[in-house]
Amino acid sequence: MAKSEDCIHILQGLLVFGNVVIGMCGIALTAECIYFVSDPHGLYPLLEATENDDIYAAAWIGIFVGFALFALSILGIIGIIKSDRTLLLVYIILMLITFAFEMASCITAATHRDFLTPDLFLKQMLERYQKAEPANNNDKWMIEGVTKTWDKLMLQNHCCGVLGPSDWQEYTSAFRFTHNDADFPWPRKCCVMDAQGLPVNLDGCKLGVPGYYNSNGCYDAISGPVNTHAWGVAWFGFAILCWIFCVLLGTMFYWSGIEY
Amino acid sequence: PHSRLRHSGARTMVPLLPLLLLLLPAAHGAVEHVAYTPFLTKTPVLEGLTTGSTFVLEQPRCVFDKYSNVDIWLVVALEKTAATFNNSVAPGTAESAFQNFPNSVPAYMTLNATLANYPCPKPAGDITVLRVGSETSCTWDNARPTCNGPLPGPGPYLVKFLALKGSEPVAETDWSQPIMLRTAKSPNSISTTDGGHSAGMIALTTILSILFAILLAGLVAML
Repeated sequence: MAKSEDCIHILQGLLVFGNVVIGMCGIALTAECIYFVSDPHGLYPLLEATENDDIYAAAWIGIFVGFALFALSILGIIGIIKSDRTLLLVYIILMLITFAFEMASCITAATHRDFLTPDLFLKQMLERYQKAEPANNNDKWMIEGVTKTWDKLMLQNHCCGVLGPSDWQEYTSAFRFTHNDADFPWPRKCCVMDAQGLPVNLDGCKLGVPGYYNSNGCYDAISGPVNTHAWGVAWFGFAILCWIFCVLLGTMFYWSGIEY
Repeated sequence: PHSRLRHSGARTMVPLLPLLLLLLPAAHGAVEHVAYTPFLTKTPVLEGLTTGSTFVLEQPRCVFDKYSNVDIWLVVALEKTAATFNNSVAPGTAESAFQNFPNSVPAYMTLNATLANYPCPKPAGDITVLRVGSETSCTWDNARPTCNGPLPGPGPYLVKFLALKGSEPVAETDWSQPIMLRTAKSPNSISTTDGGHSAGMIALTTILSILFAILLAGLVAML
């Protein structure tokens, strides 16, 4: 019948279109996740030291899921055009497995983002920044990572501490252990620097005269990129999954309608 | 920024004149009282106004102007021992040495200056401060009893300015209000487990689980 032929053709067309979109989104997901894994803001050592770097794991899964989606979308297009039951069954099952992985990635990214509170970074900064005596090799490497990252953060973003320079006064720290309070109320990197990398006015910095020290906290500079990363992986993945859901339902319906 | 002068602390012998003592019944009535209370710097607002071992005082400008040739010393005492401080203690001796504070002396004297260091009136826009506790090099150096070393505890501290002519005190200010320094807590007191889950994460998890369940049901139905 012409009407049901038309319906089938429309359904085929929609499914092919759906798969094309899935393929493109797969490439986009891979690209986005590669960007996040490359850590353009250099914040990975901080997350590594919190032992809570699962948003990176989520991004890694995203890279492979993106490739898989691209490959599967091609398989899907071929299967739909040829109306091949076997191909489409393989497509549906593999797509479900990919769906499960991507779901894991999204949920991991969203959940672990919630762990990254200011207090977590504060505690880690106080315990590890410029700590003099590493307990073991692992500790030493984390200390170096944390110290270098914080130095770079404070210099580039003109900030100090997580919530402000008073972090260094309110809490004792590994830094305070080796640097006395009178000479170093806060680290030198919190001072406004000149072109040579020396404080413009060291006394002004130690006193806390506005203009000679960085009075903002660095939390915004950390949470901005981390949020972008986590939400980029989680919500873009969620959008793709919603689309895949529709396409898969359509494919299942199409599959059950194909005669042997 | 403040300036400090090293005072050689020479002690001259005051001849005892019993007759004069009878005529001037109160020996320390010779110390005039200046109606000025030392205070922590109010402008500009300083982040490091009080730290764990330092605090920042406003310089005593236009306070001792009517005295000439005086050395102005800062006396730092603990609130509970301030009353036992005797004005005739000489600076630069063991009785007023920073290194002996607070174990064997009730107060120490430091930050020696002359009127030339505190010109009056204060030029507008200048930051005129005294940072008490900034000299870390002489904390244990007994040869430097007038060291402006870091304060040994959170306080509370009282300070006053004492003007000496030669080695005789001639004027003093009031004791300041008690100055409490900051105490630092341990980072172990920071709780990192109290995350809670954001609404977005709960919505995302729920919806994805439902979608996956529907797909699995569909798979079973079609097979």
